[in-house]
Formats: sequence, structure tokens, C-alpha cells
Amino acid sequence: MKAGIKIALLFSLTSSLLLASEQFAMSDADRAMYAEMLENNPAEMDLEAGSEYFDEYCNGEAGLANFLGVKEEKLPEYISGFPRYVEKLKMVAGLDQVMQALMSENGHKPFKLKSGDMFGMLGYVKSLANDLPISINVDANKHMKEAYVLGKEVFETKRGGRGLSCLSCHNDAVKGAILRTQPLPDLGENVAGGTWPAYRMTKSSLRTLQRRFQGCMNNALLAVIPIGSKEMNALEVYVTNMSKGKEIAIPGLKR
Amino acid sequence: MGKVKSLIKIKPKKFKNGEIVKVSFMVMHPMETGMRKDKKTKKIVPADYVKSLKFDYNGKTITTMNVWESVSTNPVFTTYMKVDGKGKLTVTFTDSKGNVNEKSKKIKPKG
Amino acid sequence: MQRREFFKKLGVVAAASSIVVPTMGFAEDKPKSPNEMSYKTALDAITDGKTPIKSDKLKLKAPEIAENGAVVPVTITVDSPMTDSDYVKSIHILSTKNANSRCADIHLTPANGKAMLATRIKLGGTQDVVAVAKLSNGEIYIASQSVKVTIGGCG
Repeated sequence: MKAGIKIALLFSLTSSLLLASEQFAMSDADRAMYAEMLENNPAEMDLEAGSEYFDEYCNGEAGLANFLGVKEEKLPEYISGFPRYVEKLKMVAGLDQVMQALMSENGHKPFKLKSGDMFGMLGYVKSLANDLPISINVDANKHMKEAYVLGKEVFETKRGGRGLSCLSCHNDAVKGAILRTQPLPDLGENVAGGTWPAYRMTKSSLRTLQRRFQGCMNNALLAVIPIGSKEMNALEVYVTNMSKGKEIAIPGLKR
Repeated sequence: MGKVKSLIKIKPKKFKNGEIVKVSFMVMHPMETGMRKDKKTKKIVPADYVKSLKFDYNGKTITTMNVWESVSTNPVFTTYMKVDGKGKLTVTFTDSKGNVNEKSKKIKPKG
Repeated sequence: MQRREFFKKLGVVAAASSIVVPTMGFAEDKPKSPNEMSYKTALDAITDGKTPIKSDKLKLKAPEIAENGAVVPVTITVDSPMTDSDYVKSIHILSTKNANSRCADIHLTPANGKAMLATRIKLGGTQDVVAVAKLSNGEIYIASQSVKVTIGGCG
């Protein structure tokens, strides 16, 4: 493309991005209204159902603490460090996968990872760590170290129809820029690792972080990675670590 | 028909007699408008929404609501209520198909 | 990747998607709403011929720009003593362009203590949200707020 046309194209694009950001910048008053909605989050009903499943199929906190080999009073803190390398599963895993194993152990057919029932149960269990800081430790052992490296690779690898990676839209240079009417979020500042599972308003349902990753991949024309797979867990480790130290607040409320 | 999931929340959680508290009622309901086409079947999903609410406190109806399909899925409704003695708050909700359900919460003022 | 190359790619995406829908976003082949009612008809049914007035006592809170059209928070409060002789009988929420402009209404009694209704509504496109309050003394207050509904996002 001729240099003149390239410059003209760049100018029109950046100016349209700027105009967009002025036009659609959310006012403080509007922002406050959305923050207020957290007080009554429909996901609370999913979590209530999840707590009932948790008690029935996993024997509640006692059952989970026992499975993980931690004292019950230390369970919330332990939960705040997930995803972790779980010895019993011989892999870096999420709490949903831990609960699948626990459900099996207790003689129940485990919920599918990508099911509303599991999302609710995961939301409930993760909410036990509310107000605690995200304490994931990517240096805990060689498995976590490997997961972090793999997660970073998944985050940064360009693939798919548009040659995009997660990093293409989630990086310091473009954070806050408006794409398709929404500001691009910084996943660390957004506390992605501590505000999912969340109620998604555009889906009117509770969703998990990995499920959200899938939605994003789908829209960016990247092949979707299965929930609970090695790569997806690694990606969750990498993204969760971005908000290490920030407070957990589940269920979240998202667009 | 399975039990419809709903929740009554009072804010603040601890309150005295005579205090005016916030009451929120939320219910898991699709609130189908009757205008949405199902992506898989390509057919219009029939209307199915909560259409009325009745708030009874210690045997008296204190508030009623009419609701239409333009209210969001998994709706939340908030209003105020004056605490007038120990008792029970019951929300009875009816949907467009005629199903009637109810949810109750004990009201226990402290002092 | 060069920043310029990146923005070029963004440009392809931004150009392809619509941004704000200024009028109703309903497609031509949309079926009739089972409860279709225009704003004017709905308002007339509430006011029953009486002229509603603006009042500082009626406050309508809704976002100027709604993040999405599926869940728009609306809060209406009316300054009233809520006594047997002076209380708010009902608060109504209407939308000016939804096929069925009626959203919800609440019928209050002095037992409510304060007059308020908060809920979340669906808006099919950019339009006004209108609050109407009917008082025990026969007065009718009205307030409206324009809400821009953005359509888009990355999924």
C-alpha cells in the first residue's frame, strides 16, 4: 500500500478510536450505577444452588479440605491459591476438576466442567475465599513453573484467522482503547483472577473465567481450547497471576 | 414443575423495630419476550415471564407489582419496608403461564 | 507487531461492527409482541386523562449510556412521608420505544415506609425510560431519562 494511503488510513482509524472513546466513555454516575448492581447479583442464586450441591456431593468444606489434605480452617486461604498442582490428580488443576474427582470418590456422577451446575458449585467454593488476596504461587513447584511458562505462551501466541493473540488486545499499549464500543481491559487491573465466576449480563447467566476465555477466542477467530485442558489451565494460571495480591470478590458482575 | 429458585434479601441484615429496610426479591426466570428466535431450532421462543408479585407481611398485603416481559432475565426488584414486629415476609409470584410460587423470609428485629 | 499494523487490524474489526443503534434495533421479520402497547397508550392508561407534572420529588436514575441492552438498572424514588393521608400509591416504569412500553409497576402502601422501586429492564435500542408516580392526593408526577444502548463488545 502506498505510504500516503497508509498514513491516511492510520489517521482515520486513530481518530475514530478517539471519537469512540469520547462518545462512549462511561460517566462516573453511570459507573456507580453498575457498581451498585453488585449488591443484588442474580448469580447469588446460582451460588446458593452450588452450595447445596457442594454439601450433598462433596461433603462440604470438611470433605474438600480432607481431599486436599488441608485443615478445614485453612481451606479459604488454600482456595485463594488456585489453580494449583494437585498431587491427587497429578496435574495443575482448578477447583472444579478437584470437585469432579471428589464427586466420583463419593459415588456420584461428576458434573461436566462446562455445566451450569458446576459453574455454580465452583462459584460457591471460590467465594469461600472472598476478601482474601489472590495467593497463587507460580513458583511453588516445577509443575506450576511449567504451567506459567505454557500459559504465557498460550497468551502470546498469534493464531487464527486474524493472526491475533490474547496479548494483541490485552497489553499496556492498547488498554483502555475502545474496540467494538467497549474499553479493552487490563486483565490484572480488572482482577480477572478474583472476580470470576461472574454473572454475565449479555448472557444472563453465571460464567467461569475459562468459559469467558472461550468466548473471547471464538470472537477473535482463534480455535477454542477445551475447558480443563492443560493449555486452558495454564492460561488461567498465567492470567490469575496478573492480579496476585488483589482481593477476591465472587460472584462478579460483568458485561 | 421443579421449584423456582428465588431469594429475599433485607438490607441492613440487622435492624430494629420501626426501622425502614430495603427489601430485594430476585428470581431465576428466563423472562422470554415471545419475540426471540431460538438459534438452534430457529423457532420463536414463546413468551414466559413473571407477571405479578405480592408482598405479604404478617398476614397483610403491603405491596403488589405488575411485571412485563421487558424486565431483565433473572429479575431483581427492590423496594422499602417498615419493620413492624417479628414475623414473616412472603413474596408470592405468578408467571405468564399461570404458575404460582412463593418465597418467605423471617423478619426478626433486634430491639 | 508494529503498532500501525495492529491498528489496521483493529480498523477492520471496528468498521465491520455497528456501534450505537439510534432507533429500534428490531429486524423487519420480528414477530409481534404478545403485549404490544405504545408509550402513549400506556401513559394514557396510567394518567387517565390527567396531565402529569414534573416534580423535584420524583427522581429517576438510569445510565446515560447503558453497557448492554439486556440489563439496564433503573431506580425511582419519590420524596413522600408515606403516611395514611399522604403517600405514593404507585410507581410505573415505561420505555418509549420497546414494542410493549410497559416494564413494571409497584403499588405501595404506608407500610413501605419510603417510596422506591428499583429493577433492571431490557431496552431494544436507544430510547427514553419514563417514570410515573401517582400520589394519594391525586397528583401525578413524571420524569424521563434518555438511555443510549450500545451494541457490540467482543463476545
